[in-house]
Amino acid sequence: MAQDLHLNDPADAPSALQLRQVSLSYGDTAVLRDLSLAVAPGAFTAVVGPNGCGKSTLLRVLGGALAPSQGQAFLDGASLAGLRRKAVARRLAYLPQNPVAPEMITVRDLVARGRYPHQTLLRQWSPADALAVEAALADTDLADLADHPVHTLSGGQRQRAWLALVLAQDAGIMLLDEPTTFLDIRHQIDLLELCARLQRAGRTLVVVLHDLNLAFRYADRVVMMRSGRIAAQGEVRQVVTEDAMRQVFDLECRVLPDPETGSPMVVPRRGGQG
Amino acid sequence: MTRGTPRLIAQPPRLLRAGNWLAWPVAPRALAYAALLLALAGAVLATTLRAGDPGLSWSALWLALQGAGGAVEQWLVHTVRLPRALSALGAGAALGLSGALFQSLTRNPLGSPDVIGLTAGASAGAVAVAMVWPGLMPVAWGAAAGALLATAGVWFGSGAGFAAPQRMVIAGIAVGAIAFAFVQYGLSNLRREQAYLAAAWLNGSLAGKTWTDVALIGAAGALLLPLGLALCARLRLLEMGDDLAQALGATPSRSRLAATLVAVLAAAAAVTVAGPVAFVALAAPQIARRCVPASGPQPLLAALTGAVLLAGADLLTRLAGPNGLPVGVLTAGIGGVYLAFLLVLEWRKTST
Repeated sequence: MAQDLHLNDPADAPSALQLRQVSLSYGDTAVLRDLSLAVAPGAFTAVVGPNGCGKSTLLRVLGGALAPSQGQAFLDGASLAGLRRKAVARRLAYLPQNPVAPEMITVRDLVARGRYPHQTLLRQWSPADALAVEAALADTDLADLADHPVHTLSGGQRQRAWLALVLAQDAGIMLLDEPTTFLDIRHQIDLLELCARLQRAGRTLVVVLHDLNLAFRYADRVVMMRSGRIAAQGEVRQVVTEDAMRQVFDLECRVLPDPETGSPMVVPRRGGQG
Repeated sequence: MTRGTPRLIAQPPRLLRAGNWLAWPVAPRALAYAALLLALAGAVLATTLRAGDPGLSWSALWLALQGAGGAVEQWLVHTVRLPRALSALGAGAALGLSGALFQSLTRNPLGSPDVIGLTAGASAGAVAVAMVWPGLMPVAWGAAAGALLATAGVWFGSGAGFAAPQRMVIAGIAVGAIAFAFVQYGLSNLRREQAYLAAAWLNGSLAGKTWTDVALIGAAGALLLPLGLALCARLRLLEMGDDLAQALGATPSRSRLAATLVAVLAAAAAVTVAGPVAFVALAAPQIARRCVPASGPQPLLAALTGAVLLAGADLLTRLAGPNGLPVGVLTAGIGGVYLAFLLVLEWRKTST
């Protein structure tokens, strides 16, 4: 992917996202239980945990797509529920797990839809929109495919197109729900490198990831979830221990320093039920 | 793309702009298609005014339009042919608009008002106030109420609102059947001559339209088309799923309700004027987006396409003879074939 990022300065200084004592149930099933969380501004936070532990639900609440049954979400100290949706969307971007690509849409048109929060009914285009779209296409290495229909792209290219959409949105905080699913290792690395560059450029990232070793390598903070609760959160190098892995994943493992980066690396033991 | 020196020259799209306050991107192909449709609509309108028995020459038509010329010609143009042509154009446009909004809402070309029982509901409503309980309210209101009821029925019947397009089609068939049964009940109570007239209307017919019809469909179009256009940007977001739409700043439930209301009212207005004409609402948006080609709802292009389709079909039935078919029979025939074609396409897509 392109080395330089063409970010407009995120309009506001580092923003922060907070959950205070949030609970949420689908019917009788509690999905999030009394969960409190502060997303550090400027950090790359990985959210990990076993299947069904509430990671996606956590992201949906952070992104404002779900209102918690109890507790509140805050954006820069203001209650998320009380803010205008469009104003929130200029500061907070959220890429859900399975967005639907409309029929017959080109990559550029898809990416341009990310500019909606910056547009009004009468002004549905501005030079800033065009710049942001082209920059997002370049950053995700999609400039050459910009005029191709989305349905002709490979899985990896399509995932990058969705990422370009939230990049074009130009928000200071980005929530990404398993953006590396369906990608081969090469594309996973490319995508995480892009996330790391976005962080260096001043963005705040919260990313649900499945591959633990990649997550711990690229993220600087981690939220470990189990059964709708946060089991551990903090600096990756402090939080990720053999004990924590046992508690969160029921996994017997060794945690070694990654020979490449020194970040924690999880090596499961054979027959490693906890 | 060369590394490090990405192309940042933004290519501005064609814009519809006015000063600093208006900037709408417009695709050149969409403009060309719209111009073609306007020309076609003009041709159909002129032919409708001239053709028939007796036919009018260009000069006679010109005189009559200016309010001069013979009394017969004036009567033909002003009282018979012009209201009929304008009603056809208006009703077709309303159906196209309704179809474009519904197909976008349901993300399904089959989610159009005639398939999901909405036009059947509108006919049942119209029959209810015109024949079963005459004088309860104006026929147009009855049609709107029937369409709303049918939509509500589909909404509940699918068990998931409009979020499950496949189930909507099935729920729509059920609602359509109920509405049709009610229509048949209404007809069975009528005397033979009345039933004959009603049956013509229920096939969809533009015979005997007056300026009242033109005023109704014109007012509906003037109100609903701008609303449909204003909702376009939000519908484009909804097509990507509720979560992403909301994250981008839309309010999915509210936008969906607004678009549903506009689509239902447009269909109800069209049914009030022309009867439950089949096929136009289903096909017009699909034809429009395949000609342009474009993603997202295209309310204006779909409306223009619908206007040309319905007025063109009406012209054909009129040329077929003085006791020609009701236009709905023609459109239903073509529509059945087209619907089968769409279904096959859909099934091919889901089976691969």
